[in-house]
Amino acid sequence: MTEYEVLLQQTINGLSLGAMYALLALGFTLVYGILELINFAHFNVFMVASFIGMWALQLFGVSGQTRILTGAALAGVLAFAFVVTMAAAGVIGVAIERLSLRPLRGVRGTAAMITTIGVNYILFNAILLTVGAGSENYPNPLPVVRWQFGHVIVELKEVLIWVVAVVLMVALHLFVNHTRLGKAMRATAQDGEAARMMGVDVDRIIVIAFFLGSALAGAAALIFGLYYNYTSFIVGYTVGLRAFTAAVLGGIGSITGAMVGGLLIGLIETLGGQLIAVRWTDVIIFSILVLVLVVVPSGLFGRSNPQKS
Amino acid sequence: MAGIDEPPPTPTTALETGPRAKAPLAPLAAIISRRARARLALVLVTAFALLFPILHHNDADIDSAANALSFASLALGLNIVVGFAGLLDLGYAAFFAIGAYAYGVASSFQLQPEWSSVWEPFRWLDLVARMPGATGDVVHFQVSFWLMLPIAAAIAAFFGVLFGAPTLRLKGDYLAIVTLGFGEIVPIVARNIPSVTNGAMGLNGVAPPQLFGYSFGVNATPYYYVGVALVALLIITSLRLKNSRVGRAWMAIREDEIAAAAMGVDRVRFKLLAFAIGAAFAGATGTFYVAKLQTATPEMFMFPVSVMVLVMVVFGGIGSVWGVVIGALLLQVLQSWFLQDLSQWLHALGRLISVDWLQHVELASSIELIFGVILVVMMLYRRDGLIPASRRMPALSIDQQSTQVSRGGFDALRDLAAADRAAAGSLLGITDLTVRFGGLVALKSVSLNVPTHSIVAVIGPNGSGKSTLFNVVTGLVAPDGGSVYFAGKEIGRLPPHRVLERGIARTFQNIRLFPNLTVLENVMIGMHARLGTGAAGALLRLPKTRREEEEARERALEILALFGNRLLPRADHVASSLSYANRRRTEIARAVAARPKLLLLDEPTAGMNPAETRELADQIRGLHQAGLTLVLIEHKLDVVVSLADQVVVLDHGEKIAEGPAETVRSDEEVIRAYLGRGTVYA
Repeated sequence: MTEYEVLLQQTINGLSLGAMYALLALGFTLVYGILELINFAHFNVFMVASFIGMWALQLFGVSGQTRILTGAALAGVLAFAFVVTMAAAGVIGVAIERLSLRPLRGVRGTAAMITTIGVNYILFNAILLTVGAGSENYPNPLPVVRWQFGHVIVELKEVLIWVVAVVLMVALHLFVNHTRLGKAMRATAQDGEAARMMGVDVDRIIVIAFFLGSALAGAAALIFGLYYNYTSFIVGYTVGLRAFTAAVLGGIGSITGAMVGGLLIGLIETLGGQLIAVRWTDVIIFSILVLVLVVVPSGLFGRSNPQKS
Repeated sequence: MAGIDEPPPTPTTALETGPRAKAPLAPLAAIISRRARARLALVLVTAFALLFPILHHNDADIDSAANALSFASLALGLNIVVGFAGLLDLGYAAFFAIGAYAYGVASSFQLQPEWSSVWEPFRWLDLVARMPGATGDVVHFQVSFWLMLPIAAAIAAFFGVLFGAPTLRLKGDYLAIVTLGFGEIVPIVARNIPSVTNGAMGLNGVAPPQLFGYSFGVNATPYYYVGVALVALLIITSLRLKNSRVGRAWMAIREDEIAAAAMGVDRVRFKLLAFAIGAAFAGATGTFYVAKLQTATPEMFMFPVSVMVLVMVVFGGIGSVWGVVIGALLLQVLQSWFLQDLSQWLHALGRLISVDWLQHVELASSIELIFGVILVVMMLYRRDGLIPASRRMPALSIDQQSTQVSRGGFDALRDLAAADRAAAGSLLGITDLTVRFGGLVALKSVSLNVPTHSIVAVIGPNGSGKSTLFNVVTGLVAPDGGSVYFAGKEIGRLPPHRVLERGIARTFQNIRLFPNLTVLENVMIGMHARLGTGAAGALLRLPKTRREEEEARERALEILALFGNRLLPRADHVASSLSYANRRRTEIARAVAARPKLLLLDEPTAGMNPAETRELADQIRGLHQAGLTLVLIEHKLDVVVSLADQVVVLDHGEKIAEGPAETVRSDEEVIRAYLGRGTVYA
């Protein structure tokens, strides 16, 4: 394998990771865009969703990587798993908003953010105490299909990830930019008070933002499980923080920014691991987080002004 | 407004009948004053803390108590950053780690450079020892615990400033994220440089502290007493800082950063100070903790530790010194004693009723779940924590509420701006000032001149650039062109706190008081630039500092007395509880407290009824007679006519007229500006 091929292979891996980070970053950005709230609970909504996805696949008797499905059966099982996981994650997100964040609407300062840290801990321990601390072998019905170009390998699961990510992102784009609700959402993001006065039900928009963001986290969670073939109660924090970095890098509040930022963080993770050392990837990623916020707080695509109070 | 024509009362009577004296008193309180009760409680707590290991011989429990004390120290440090200065730090454990590794490396066998004569003086100081190694003699670091305690604090403070400096522009949640990033990076770096830290394995054989040749070893009791001393020291430090000029500056930044800057607080400096002191607390605690454990691994300093300390602060009461100590101790006691006992009771219960899962419940492992629940519940139902930092004041009696207003009674403040009374000529000179916001020109080549000891009114329709003018003069908005001279010196690009130091104070159109601070504290923050106490002065509390604080307090009360008994009985009430008019008055009092030469008032009478307006107009005239030069933005033309020597009219960012009120009033251009351009209505 030539050095060029190694880098190409890592780029392909990075795109898969990046697609996952982008889906997760969208959840941070949707909520931030509307509430100016950094939602730490999103980390473990992702983690819990990965378990829900696992249970959904197990309903069809899929366990481990031994039961391979093909054709319509595969498509059906995967579609079911994605729909269930996304819906369940969305419901969890809405529940978090209704129960713990709505009562804090209008409270200034960081109270809401501290609350999401608390919710994050509750979700984390809910899984830890019920499922346990072990890491779970993720059910994966995908046949191992590889396409080889020289020494560079593209796997079926990667193609699946790309397709799912692109479909979801295009759907989100269409929803936000070409529907009435999407327009209301953009209006609320720009000026919630004005939107409310123009008849937009802002509470409903917030619920939708939480539902969509969490549902996308659900899709990312299933992708995570299918890609790495495991999940555990601790995955939320590392993956979530990287996705958050992606949202910040792209410009938090910006949907395009979250997508681009996600891909960049995925590439930085794989290429940085290849070119420097895997044990330093997190330092690189968190340094990017710090540097972006300090030097260009609005990120690549953001318009918001983080210095405002 | 019955009181408006009555003669002014002497302010001292209002002083003596403060709200406290009239509060309904509980029987116990009737015998012992609040102060005495607080002393008694302090003596009891101290006695208990000192006697605990003697009364309770269980070594494991004393050890848990010592651990709890180290977390109380951490909570006190985080409270300085989060509670006082309002800077949410989610990576606080990083400073804990830095202090821990500083001592760990300086007193263990981890680093063993080859021996050379360079080390000789250090050996003489007993900081290092010469030791035979595999290939020759090597250096063994053996820096004393007691020496490292302040050094580790200083190292952590240095990193506090290093991490803090680039992030100061950021607010609230963004700052939280940056600190979270730092908090992640530090333990990963510690894991990735095993040559210094022994990586994930952890440092080996960190030396226990020694005192007069006695090694603490693994005996819990001496550590417990060091912990008690550390917590006591940090409590005193926190309390002294809180009730000082430094603490007020932090709380001003927390409450309203812009207003703090406009009242003379150097934001950069005080934020860095908060970061540094908070980090120093963590650094010293890190040294203590590692000396006690005699090892350090990166896992001891990860995000959950930062969150745990945050939970303690939130639980106890953000900004409340005793609250966070109690919060930390309670949560640690819960974790190490109560949950284990409870688990064992559940196991016994499970055996009794033969329920299998009850016999395996480990509640101690669900401590994080409990932390999460505490965070959410506290935020939803009791954001002030167990012991809120500010206590509620009883409502005023009818007697105290009835208005007795002094009009023009400014004799107490004759020295207000005495120094410049004699100076003639221009105090504030503005030439060709231009400000653009994107495509909008807010001010277009505006020139104006404020003579010393005059009152100039700036009028104009909404959006004509009046407040922008104030913002440029006070340094909140940078001009795109032109210059501002104050007392002969260019001030056009000075930061807000420097402008105030030169002698320009202001009020804001949309009132920017510090809502959760008392009226008195608000006014005392106005004096920030005129007082000199720094962190060291606040800590040592020398006679000079005490005197300065006492004088500042008295002067603040004098200034409040300018408004009759409108503010004085409310001196200990939080600003957010005041009526709209009283908030305006407090804001003026705060500005006057800064001893300005020039006072900028932005719509001082907005929202006041005609009687209150007249009262305030008289008070403004009183300030003028006391020697102040004033510029006011005002919409009420009767106020303008009765007060202003000169009127400046702005429209669409341009000066369209200037002169005495009577001439300006009949100016064609001005009438057109007020009635609208090109209107055809006659």
